[in-house]
Amino acid sequence: MEPLDIELEEGELELPAEPMHLNMGPSHPAMHGTVRMVLELSGETIARADVQIGYLHRGFEKMCERGTWAQVFPYVDRLNYVSPMLNNVGFALAVEKMCGIAVPERCQWYRMALGELARISDHLTCDGAMAMELGAFTPFLWFIKAREMIWDILEEETGARLTHSFGRIGGMAHPPTAGFKALCRAALPKVLQTVEEGERMLLKNRIFLDRLEGVGSISGPEAVAMGWTGPCLRATGVSYDIRKAHPYLRYDEVDFEVPVGTRGDTLDRFLVRLGEIRQSKRIIEQAVDRMADEGPVNCDDPRVVLPDKGEVYTTIEGTIQHFKLVMEGAKVPRGECYSYTEAGNGELGFYLVSDGSGTPYRVRIRPPCFQVVGGLQKLLEGRLLSDIVPTFGSLNMIGGECDH
Amino acid sequence: MPTFKLDGKTLPFEPGDSIIKAADRQGITIPHYCWHPGLSSPANCRMCLVEILPKAGQRPVMLDILALDASTGEYRPVQKPKLQPSCYTPATEGLEVLSDSSSHVVQARHDVQERLLLNHPVDCPICDQAGECTLQDYWLEYQKTHKRMHDEPVHKSKGVEFGPTIVYDGERCVMCTRCIRFMDEVAKDHVLDMRERGNLNEITVSPGRQLDGHYTFMTEHVCPVGALTTKDFRFKARVWFLRTAESVCQGCATGCNAHLDYDPRNNTAYRYRPRDNEKVNKYWMCDEGMLSYREAHDGRVTRAAVRGKPVTVGAALDEVRSLFANVPAESVAIVFGAGHSLEDNWALRELGMVLLGSKQAYWSGHPDGYEDAILIHRDKNSNTRGLQLLAPGARPLSALIDDVGAGRVTHVIALGGAAQVPADVLSRAKLVTVAAHAGPLTVSAAVVLPATSWAEHSGTYVNFKGLRQVSEPGLEPLGDSRAAFRVLADVAGALGYEASWKKLKQIRAQLAGNAAADAPASAVPAAPAE
Repeated sequence: MEPLDIELEEGELELPAEPMHLNMGPSHPAMHGTVRMVLELSGETIARADVQIGYLHRGFEKMCERGTWAQVFPYVDRLNYVSPMLNNVGFALAVEKMCGIAVPERCQWYRMALGELARISDHLTCDGAMAMELGAFTPFLWFIKAREMIWDILEEETGARLTHSFGRIGGMAHPPTAGFKALCRAALPKVLQTVEEGERMLLKNRIFLDRLEGVGSISGPEAVAMGWTGPCLRATGVSYDIRKAHPYLRYDEVDFEVPVGTRGDTLDRFLVRLGEIRQSKRIIEQAVDRMADEGPVNCDDPRVVLPDKGEVYTTIEGTIQHFKLVMEGAKVPRGECYSYTEAGNGELGFYLVSDGSGTPYRVRIRPPCFQVVGGLQKLLEGRLLSDIVPTFGSLNMIGGECDH
Repeated sequence: MPTFKLDGKTLPFEPGDSIIKAADRQGITIPHYCWHPGLSSPANCRMCLVEILPKAGQRPVMLDILALDASTGEYRPVQKPKLQPSCYTPATEGLEVLSDSSSHVVQARHDVQERLLLNHPVDCPICDQAGECTLQDYWLEYQKTHKRMHDEPVHKSKGVEFGPTIVYDGERCVMCTRCIRFMDEVAKDHVLDMRERGNLNEITVSPGRQLDGHYTFMTEHVCPVGALTTKDFRFKARVWFLRTAESVCQGCATGCNAHLDYDPRNNTAYRYRPRDNEKVNKYWMCDEGMLSYREAHDGRVTRAAVRGKPVTVGAALDEVRSLFANVPAESVAIVFGAGHSLEDNWALRELGMVLLGSKQAYWSGHPDGYEDAILIHRDKNSNTRGLQLLAPGARPLSALIDDVGAGRVTHVIALGGAAQVPADVLSRAKLVTVAAHAGPLTVSAAVVLPATSWAEHSGTYVNFKGLRQVSEPGLEPLGDSRAAFRVLADVAGALGYEASWKKLKQIRAQLAGNAAADAPASAVPAAPAE
């Protein structure tokens, strides 16, 4: 249809309006992660957006200074609670770096497989929720159905669907179950099939595309300057993934690609996440193939790893080891370290300081979405009010890790 | 000062020092069980073995041993240096000693520790020593390996009552003989010894005797493991829940330094442990002192009372005001408490002598008791010497009783409930007692105001040698009690005066230096000529 061609001065269409202040959140349903935006609107256009975080601040870092190093794991579960396993692994790697220990190869593959499962669940949640907030409810349900398949595997492995607390210094809480490999091989194709169905629904939808394309875009250099990492940075075309740039575990031995976008807009962020789901599937398949069926999962360093329960109940040496680790905690050597991994939202860093006692002296987190949310104002100003929901949704702000 | 080398580091030593002692002086601990700085060295635990390098030109003393070759699974003859116990080997000029840096020493510590745990029972969950046990600490530091012997361990006697205070567990014992040596060398009582040999070795009490006397708790204190436990602390608390305050024992005028271990969750003191102080108690405390932590809870005054009836502190202060209305200064007396801190007594001196203008000062405290030549002093008050500094003219309580009887004194403000003589007569006077503990002076008092004990506030105490020592608080104040100097400030307020002291810091500034602590000549009159 021909566009209605009326010659009008642009100004004549705009209604004269006083700047209006609007509070969006913290209870607004689209402000998931609990954030508040104070908007100054000129008509429908956002003149200024003041993003206020902190509604999920629990004093996580301070809480860690109370217990033992091992007791930090339940806290890190609740950082990015959409992919707790990645936090568990990230923190375990940080403490292991301080102790100078390496986990057995079997454990490394296991951690990679579980971590990538968590990454898929993270991206499914983000993309699904964003689509739902734009009215696309069906793909959301399909994505969540796919996420359930992932969570079933995680539940089978860890006993918990969401907050696993499964990481341990020097290993994992349990070795892989006998059916782990089969479960992964059976579930992953189904997950991908569901994702593709949802993807087809969305990416052929004119309305969905119009609401994402060119909305909330940012250039690569700007994103780098603001400290962005993860899918949001890669959507701008900067191919920075810690798994490739600074490989840990066995990421240098697996074959995968880093999906990147071109324009750094909301659609690119959506597509990068979908691309990463496919890459994660490839990583899991390789990890599962290469993980040995037998062999130790935990390292045998008595300073950090709990002894076998049989030893604890029958020998004094086992009792003492158990006692020292539980009552006093693993004695992490005096010193400090920064350790970083690629979590669902980007670089999850832990800066740890130990005074040599069994209790952390300082646990400082560098949550990836803190920097990303820092750029939200820039993405929104000058855009329409309705652009807030897809833009904010595509950043995947998680209050649990952002507020610290 | 002569020096020797430990792990390549040059350390000074005093002639006669053993290597372990010289290292200990520099803050370097060589692991040990049987050595104790206050006792002789038997060199029987072998944990402190070190490698001593031969002097230039001398041949090292080597031992032929068989070592397991892991690659072939067979033993082959090798040599290793003869290690020396560092607790028994004197440090000499230029001696070169290897401790942590010698692989032989590291191996020896591992092996000694493994042997000590060979027959050790799996008792940590029920053992009072768990959490402060040398066996646990050294396992993690020096052994780190699991049990290789899976035979039934040797069983020995458990729960043996050594006496009224101490229980012995033979299976936990590492036969360091510290308890035997403590009784021999410090308590001068050869009541403990060992019997049998090898893995049947046990500590035993002399036939016909039991482990009693005034220093039995120290056998438990020196025990590096959970073999000796006190009946008092047994199964009462787990040590990792306890916090520690640097306290001073209130049992007698010796003023032994102690750790007051308390549980902050229920605000309860659980035990005393000696705190090393070369000038006062060295490493030890007596049994009465070790049990005196109970005074933090027993016999406490925690509520105000008027003529025996509990009232609020405010009502008691009102009563003080009406009792002391229009009283001439010459019939007011003050009674210093020898069991209260210097700061509290200073506040009483300010209130009585400066604000109220009283000229009659007395002192009260516990009567004298048992004494010995080791630690226990005849004077059972912690701060008698402090009172002598603060109010040299103060007369004993018996003089007050005479003065009250004769009607020369009608109104009394007393600090502390203890009295060295019966004090019933004092009920004839209007007696206001500020006290942490009940005693004759609280019984006779018209008004009792609750004060905190030494365990709840910081205070300075002067021991019989004139040494000023600060005792730090652990517990929160019980009931309505507050530090006595604060209560005395309230009394001053109730009587219409403004107290010049509000904070401990202000009082300490006044007390700083001996000159200020000594009473100004005008404030305290000399004892009247008889």
